[in-house]
Order: sequence, then structure tokens, then C-alpha cells
Amino acid sequence: MDMETITSKRLIMISGKGGVGRTTLAAAIAIAAAKNGKRVLLAEVGDNEGDESPLAHLFGKKNFTEIPAQLDQNLMACRLWAPQGHKLFLQHILPGGAILSAALRSKALQAFLTAAPSFCEMGWFYHLLTLIKEMNSDGQPRHQLIIIDMPATGHTLALTTLPKILIRLIRSGPIVDALSEGQRVIYDPDKSSSWVVTLPEKLPVSEALELLEGLHASNVPIGGIFLNRFPQNPFQPDEFDTINRIFNDHNIYGKLSFQRIIRSQEAEKRLLKEIDVPIIKVDELTRGGFELPAQIAQKFNPITGDV
Amino acid sequence: MNSPLTGIIKDKRLIVCCGAGGVGKTTVSAALAVKAARMGKKVLVLTIDPSKRLAEALGVERSPPEPVRPPISKLRQIGISPPGDLEAWMLDPQVIADTVVEKYANNKEEASSLLSNRIYKNVTAMVAGMQEYTAVQAMHTFLKNDRYDLIILDTPPSRNALHFLEAPKRISRLLNGRIFRFFIPSDTSLIKRAVSTVLNKAMDISLGKTNRVELTTFFSLFSAILSRLNHNAGELRSIFKQKDSSFLVITSPAQEAIEEALYFEKKTRDDLDMPFNGYILNRSLANTNHKNYPDESLFSNHIISELTLNKVKDLAEHELAQMKAHTNLLENIRKRLGPSLFAEALPYISDGVSDLETLATLVDALPSN
Repeated sequence: MDMETITSKRLIMISGKGGVGRTTLAAAIAIAAAKNGKRVLLAEVGDNEGDESPLAHLFGKKNFTEIPAQLDQNLMACRLWAPQGHKLFLQHILPGGAILSAALRSKALQAFLTAAPSFCEMGWFYHLLTLIKEMNSDGQPRHQLIIIDMPATGHTLALTTLPKILIRLIRSGPIVDALSEGQRVIYDPDKSSSWVVTLPEKLPVSEALELLEGLHASNVPIGGIFLNRFPQNPFQPDEFDTINRIFNDHNIYGKLSFQRIIRSQEAEKRLLKEIDVPIIKVDELTRGGFELPAQIAQKFNPITGDV
Repeated sequence: MNSPLTGIIKDKRLIVCCGAGGVGKTTVSAALAVKAARMGKKVLVLTIDPSKRLAEALGVERSPPEPVRPPISKLRQIGISPPGDLEAWMLDPQVIADTVVEKYANNKEEASSLLSNRIYKNVTAMVAGMQEYTAVQAMHTFLKNDRYDLIILDTPPSRNALHFLEAPKRISRLLNGRIFRFFIPSDTSLIKRAVSTVLNKAMDISLGKTNRVELTTFFSLFSAILSRLNHNAGELRSIFKQKDSSFLVITSPAQEAIEEALYFEKKTRDDLDMPFNGYILNRSLANTNHKNYPDESLFSNHIISELTLNKVKDLAEHELAQMKAHTNLLENIRKRLGPSLFAEALPYISDGVSDLETLATLVDALPSN
């Protein structure tokens, strides 16, 4: 699996539990794809007004707005914002004039759309759909590739199961039309793929497998797994037994690191055994903060090579 | 001198564990609960979206309608005996919603008509704040009836993990008459009725009339039920502010986790004015000394090449550097917090808390008195 194949979609959803480096990896993939000439939009799912955004922090900003902003050549970023989706949807379905402006002005309607079950997800979904459909004057998509950093596993599943649930509920009408249109993108393996980021440790791997199962059940095409912060193994296979014995016999520093190397290999073996999706190991890097995504992106280049 | 953390476990009635996802918050919450139960307290640990394995370790179901006590044999195994007692409740949104409906519906018909409503079945679990609200609600009841000496709340894994504090407010916003007025036009004001007609029309266009009517039924039933349990949000908030409540921030030494932790500290203490007491630095290599450096003399029994030995030394160097960094981090946090607040380190346990034994190891690593 090379980077070109990974980024050959219209939409990539990156999910995973907290603390696995998901946001950093989403940023790294976006940077790598943008460097290779794709017009990339990096998006996050915005929950609350005023929330700080870890994704924006990586680019030295406090947060992103619902309007895509240029970060670098070929690279834009925004948040998916439910109220924006609602507004766009109302503008789309309602005849102009009195009804539209009453609807847009109504605080009650806004409050309802924010608080009522699944309407929030519908807002994200419609906002995303609008961004996917945006065209440049030359008829080419404004954003060739949209990469979403999904903040919580619950959000991922809510967003991916939304079309199915709502279509079952509502059956027809403009909402269903919009959902079906979106479905044709997010359930199409040529246009979209979903990646799960996890760490090479027991519990994170169990959680990743659980999330993959959920994604699979919601019909979203699975890209694969990023096994992040994979520790480097300096030892040759024939050294392993000796080293193992040494660490068992002596209480010396380095034992924890060695155990971690063993666990990471076990985690990889388990994934290979239990699922049949591409697994991409991302080496552990020592640097953190601002430089990390760019550093990982470097590793992804050239895109034609294996990562 | 007694450790401040032990003092908190001993004296408080409510401990709220906040922190970013992936730092082991649920595990630390469980460890604090076991510690308190060992000290003879009746403890409830309330957790949302728990890991499967923790539930398995404690031998409890994953989403029961009520708190569950692990089997007595497991309690004994982990050093808990009467009067100490431990119960765990792992909340599941759908189970909670159903329980609430059954408990608060006016009668069986009302309950069953809501439980079988197409919309209810599909979307209840998505009601924002439902879980948090129920957790806070349950806590309120338990604190009032003295069933437990101590409740430990493992906060939900959201980016803004303090949302649960706002759950009552958010639910009441949903229940706010203003929202429903346009669904159920009973208003006398001509203008309001006109607006409501316009909005209903908008809803009809987007949803279809049948759906709108069904949605209206759902909301009027569901809101009636929710409003029955809609305590004063202020009252619930005041519980958290009481002297016998304590907010702890759990973090790992990872940089992102530390950044989030600082945010939680600021938010609980300064913005929300909650009784913040300190940090637990989980998965830390601080205080893991008493080891040897790998030099030649140690390995006389093994045939080991210089190349291999150097690789082992590299690992040792790396671990020493991490240990030093974690120790500095702990010291810096302590220095910044000052004497009235605390920071404790818990070790990295290599197997993760997969069973009772490793959970017990973590409990043993808590300050002993």
C-alpha cells in the first residue's frame, strides 16, 4: 500500500481513540498529499463554539472556522460545523423570501436543530457534502481530497450510520435526497475510505478492532490501520533469545523498552491474524509538537514508495 | 505525613476524574475505587464508555440497568472485605434511555408507545447529553440516600470532558418550550402562530408531513418524560462545588495529554470554580529507579557480542532519559501547583490492566497512607 493509493480518493476519514496520535497522522497525510500536488482540505468535526482545536494547534492556530482557510500551497483547513450545514440545507430546500428568512432567523429552529437527535450529524453531513461538491471555474473539484480528523469513535459511527438510519426513518424528501447523494460518495470504495489509527499495544488494538467492526457494519469502505508510534527494533532475530534472557535475569534499565518492542510485534501479529486490511506501521519519532506532522509527512514521501 | 491523595480518598464523598482520552482514566478511577474499598469504604465507580476488559476484570456486565457488585471472590482477591465494598456501573446510552422511560412514564401505555416509536428506537442513543445527564442524575440520588460512602465518576471521553457538567443545561435547552412551541402550536399570539405555521411548513418540506407528525409525537412524549426528571441544573452543579467533592486530572506524560490536562485544570478551577485538588500522572517512569545499568560484568553468564551489548545499552539510555524527563515533569507540576495541591505518579504497567492482578498492582502503587 503506497501513499498514492491511499490518497487516490475524494474522502478519507481518520478515526481512533484519544491519545493514539490520530490528529497528527491526519495532518501528516494531508501535508504529504498536498506536497504531491493534490488540492487537499483538512477538516475536523466541530462540536462547540469556542472549543480549542488540537488540529489547529498543529498549525499554530487556535481553531478553524467553517469556511476553508488556506494553510499552505494546496492545503486548506476548516471545521465541519452543524449550524453551517443546516443553513446550507435550508437555503437549498426552501423557496427564497419569507419562509427562508423566517427559518434562518428563527432561534427556536436553530436551537431545535442543535439539540434534536441526529440533526447535528445531519448538519455535519450536509456541510461535508457541500464541500465535496464545490467546483472551481474549470469544472474541477475545488477540494480534490478531503481528509477528516474524526474526534471520537462515537462521532465516526454516528456520521457513517446516519444516512442508513435517516433514510429508513424518513423514506423520501429533500433530506433523503441529500443523504442518498452523500451515500454515493461515502459508501463508494473508489471515492472514500476510512482509516483507523491505533498503537501497537493490547488494549488499543482491541479498541481498533471493535471500531473496524462498527465501520464495517455501517458499510463504509475500510482503508486500513495505521499502527502508530511503532518502536524501532534494533535486534536481529538471532539476538532475541539472548536479550530476552538477559532482561529476565537482571533488573536493568532498558527492560521496559525491550518489552515494548515485543508487545508491538505481538500487536502486529494479532492484527495480521484477525483482520484482512492493509496495516501501515508508522515509526516512532522522538520529536513532538509543531514539527511532528511535517516529519511524518516526509517519511510518506515519495508517495510512490512504501510507507 | 499522610499523602493528600489518601486524604481525599478518606474524606471526600465524590471524586471526579477528568482528563484526555487514552490516558487510562477508567483504570485509574477503578484503582482509586479499589483503594477506597480496601480502606473500608462503600464505593461506587461510575464509568461511561468503559473498556470491555475492565468490565471483564471486575467480573461485571458491561451495561446493566443498575450498579453491580463484582463477585465476592474477586473482591477478596483484590483485598476488599467488609465493611469495604465496591460496586461498578458502566453506563450504556440505550439502556439508560429505556430505564428512564420505564421509570418516569405516567403509565405502561405511555412507556410502551414511546419505546416502540420508530424515531425513539433509532435516535435515542444520539440524544446529546443523555448519558452524562443520567450519570449526574444517578449520582445525585446516590449522594442523597447515603447508599455509598464515596462515588468516583470517570468522566466521558469527549474532547471537552467537562461537558457532563453542562448536560443538565443542555437537556433543559432541548426541553425548552420555545423549541416545541412550533411543533405543537397552542400559542395564543397571532404572530407566534404565524411563525409556527411557517416553520411547520419548512419542516414539512424537508421531512414530509407524516414524518413531521411522527417526530412531533416522539418529542411531546419524550420531552414530557424528560421534564419529569429535569432537576434544577443549578442544584446538580452545586453538588460538584461542595467541599466533599474533589476534581482530579488524570494524565499521561505524553505532550498532548499534558496540554489537555492543563486545560482541564484551568477549566475546572478557574472557569467553573470547581474544587480541583491535583494531578495523577499515569503511566509514568518517574520513581522507577533501583535498577542497574547494563554493563559487561553483569553478563558473564551470557555469550553476548559487543554489538548486541551496545544495542542493550541504547535501550537503557533511552529508558533513563525518559525516566529523567518524567521525574522532571512531576517536579515541575508540583512546583507550579504549590503545597495546597498534589501530583502523584503511577507507574506504567506493561500488560495494561487486563485483569484483577494488574489492577491490584496499580492500587499498590498508590500512596500507602
